[in-house]
Amino acid sequence: MDVQISHIVKTFGKVRANDDISMTFQSGHIYAVLGENGAGKSTLMKILSGFQPPDSGQIVLDGQPVVFASPADALRVGIGMLHQDVLDVPGMTVLDNFILARGTHLLPDRHRARVELSQQADKLGFDLNPDAYVDSLTIGERQQLELVRLLSLGAKVLILDEPTTGISTDQKEVLFNSLRRLAHTESVTVILVSHKLEDVNALCDSVVVLRQGQVTGSADMPSPTATLIEMMFGKDLPRSGQRPGKHAHKGLNTVLSVKALSVPGRRVSLKDVYLDVERGEVVGLAGLDGSGQRGLLRACAGLEAPTAGWLYLEGRDVTHLNYHDRVGLGVAYTPAGRLEEGLVAGLTLTEHVALVSDRGTWVHWNAARHEAKDKIEHYSIRGTSESRVETLSGGNQQRALMALLPQNLKLLLLESPTRGLDVESARWVWRQLLARREQGAAIIFISPDLDEIIEYSDRVVVFFGGRATLIDDPSKTSMAELGRLIGGVQS
Amino acid sequence: MTPLQGSANTSQHSNRWLAQALVLIVGLLIIVGGIVAVLLLSGKDPASALNLFLQGSLGDATQRSLVVMRGLPILLAASGLLLTFSAGLWNIGIEGQMMFGAIFATIIARSVGNDTSGWIALALELILAAIGGALWALVAGVLKTKGRVNEIFGGVALNFIASNIALYILDGPWKYGARQQTAPFNAPALLPLVPDSGALSLPGIVIAIAGFVLVYLILKRSRWGLQLRAMGHSQRSAFLLGVRTERNVLLAMMACGALGGIGGALQILSPDPVSKGYLFPDSSGGIGFLALLVVLLANYQAAWVPLISLFFSLVPVGMLNLQTQIGLDPTLGRVFEEALVFIVVLANGAAARARHTMGEPD
Repeated sequence: MDVQISHIVKTFGKVRANDDISMTFQSGHIYAVLGENGAGKSTLMKILSGFQPPDSGQIVLDGQPVVFASPADALRVGIGMLHQDVLDVPGMTVLDNFILARGTHLLPDRHRARVELSQQADKLGFDLNPDAYVDSLTIGERQQLELVRLLSLGAKVLILDEPTTGISTDQKEVLFNSLRRLAHTESVTVILVSHKLEDVNALCDSVVVLRQGQVTGSADMPSPTATLIEMMFGKDLPRSGQRPGKHAHKGLNTVLSVKALSVPGRRVSLKDVYLDVERGEVVGLAGLDGSGQRGLLRACAGLEAPTAGWLYLEGRDVTHLNYHDRVGLGVAYTPAGRLEEGLVAGLTLTEHVALVSDRGTWVHWNAARHEAKDKIEHYSIRGTSESRVETLSGGNQQRALMALLPQNLKLLLLESPTRGLDVESARWVWRQLLARREQGAAIIFISPDLDEIIEYSDRVVVFFGGRATLIDDPSKTSMAELGRLIGGVQS
Repeated sequence: MTPLQGSANTSQHSNRWLAQALVLIVGLLIIVGGIVAVLLLSGKDPASALNLFLQGSLGDATQRSLVVMRGLPILLAASGLLLTFSAGLWNIGIEGQMMFGAIFATIIARSVGNDTSGWIALALELILAAIGGALWALVAGVLKTKGRVNEIFGGVALNFIASNIALYILDGPWKYGARQQTAPFNAPALLPLVPDSGALSLPGIVIAIAGFVLVYLILKRSRWGLQLRAMGHSQRSAFLLGVRTERNVLLAMMACGALGGIGGALQILSPDPVSKGYLFPDSSGGIGFLALLVVLLANYQAAWVPLISLFFSLVPVGMLNLQTQIGLDPTLGRVFEEALVFIVVLANGAAARARHTMGEPD
């Protein structure tokens, strides 16, 4: 089935996630859609698979314009998506899951379904036990089940979102073979969304590259890796806009010492990481989502239990201290989900101020209100002391989060501190953070924005597949080199 | 759930209070309409029925004292539930916690002789009742925090276990003659009455009001109360902002259990006719469940709880008179109470939904 998308636009607030995107996918070919975090890949694929409508633009299938109201709608005309987190029902067997979405009958024909399941699986070279419970399967096997299910429901276009994360090399081989067969003998259109250049090289016929919501290029494979990286991350720009006063790591005044740390993850586990961070230093954690960087950050905060290794705060072993005890020692953590994890939706700013100050049994509401007003003034928060936090804009929520951080921090751990903020708000956040650095705090942060990491970090750690690579002087490292590390390409 | 308002935003607070008053009045009107309809259909005169109802519940000092005294356990249990609800916990186990309070109070009460000091006996009974209720609530709390058992399921199971423990004790070690009950307590073990007041007991009233006032102050003025409210909105955010959520779950459950336990003790320690003056299998009498309804009816607003508790004790007292005079089944009173809760909860849900669609935060 030929898929043509033209002039797709999708905005979220001020962000243009898809900015006039047009591309064509031909029947029987395998495509890769490449791009770094936030480039707009997921948004585009969600539009193509019926999860969300575009603001404007058109999808044409074999010459017919189509509009989807739901993913089921898209699947009915032949577009199926394999999600990174497979959408199956864990408490049921493989066969039950296979039957679940197909039944229009009150009593499904289990025998016929069983036969169909095994025929389809055999054809793709999958070995699926129909009576196994889905919880007992590996991620790779759950993907296989989902593929079988999509194909049996008549999918002619398959979209696969990061399918090789968390599956074994053998399973990847089986998957790629089946995709090749589907494309080349059954004319299925395969679209692979990936960050991994290695996979793209091994499987795809052509690539399309997105950057900041726009198509920045396309190429037939094989293509030189350097060209792809340049399309994904942009050309190396002269870094004139860099902030002054980079901190040179001297190995003195170590605040945090990470030794041989391993942290289990849902799909990717962090393995054997070493890192020393000293007073007044900013360390950026780069990598594609789910490469292990979040595990490190949360393990440092005491929110994730490591399976091996040690953490030292100013020489003291804190590996087994819980989050609150580490906070007591001068560690702070701000999550990416400001309203989900950071602030308490439903409480006012005054109530937040009273909540984080731990003085005495009773709350002095007048004092708390005054303190809230001071903070509103000092941090230029648009809102009143009686505003409930969920009524504030994202930028003002971030300001409120910063205002609630205790003074005299030793270690500040930040998850995407400027997520969803406009340039001005993001700059403001960094001015505050750098002021904290001047006061002696060590800062470790995650960001999906490579430019932000390069601009503000004294050192950078790049994560790929749970492995960490330290870059001592990011200013001397080219974007291409970083891109290669992020994409897991051995240089 | 719509949690309690902080005193930080007083204007919103009074608005909410008024809105709840409106909902309650409209709900009550609908219920009264329903009652009138039932009476007319069964050929009875609504006006005289209302008269009988009011006569029966508020007509003389004895009846009024009965309403007050029967409202006290409800008020205590509902006060405790305000704490757990604020923290986002559905302490269904309150019924079993009341039963445990009654059992623990009985440990003292059945050994109080006629020459014991009433004040010391009462103090010990209530302290033990609080401990008993708190311990039973702690079981539900530990099941939740350590065993990942939802407090609702844990509570339901523990209610059954509590009532079976009571049955076992009353059939075995504490059995009195051929009946499933303890021996009637001696007078010093019971709540002292105000002379010539019907059933009124000053210590009982003081304890219940003190319990409610304490909860009110905790929620509006204390740091712990603020922490509980934060947990009710978002346990995750509260945790990251420094609230020891697990500890607070246990503390809130225990505080609720303690108040419920004292309520359970009042259920058996009043002299006749408020209670029987001994422990029997159904001593908690569904008061814990009734208290859950009180808090739902109040839409988690503490200020409404005393009034609604009194209302919930008034209805059965008044219905009793209707039964003796015109043969109306007293369970009808419960039916209408519960219908009222249903209507009010529905109205609150609809209001929240309306606010949500209009883009205002809940």
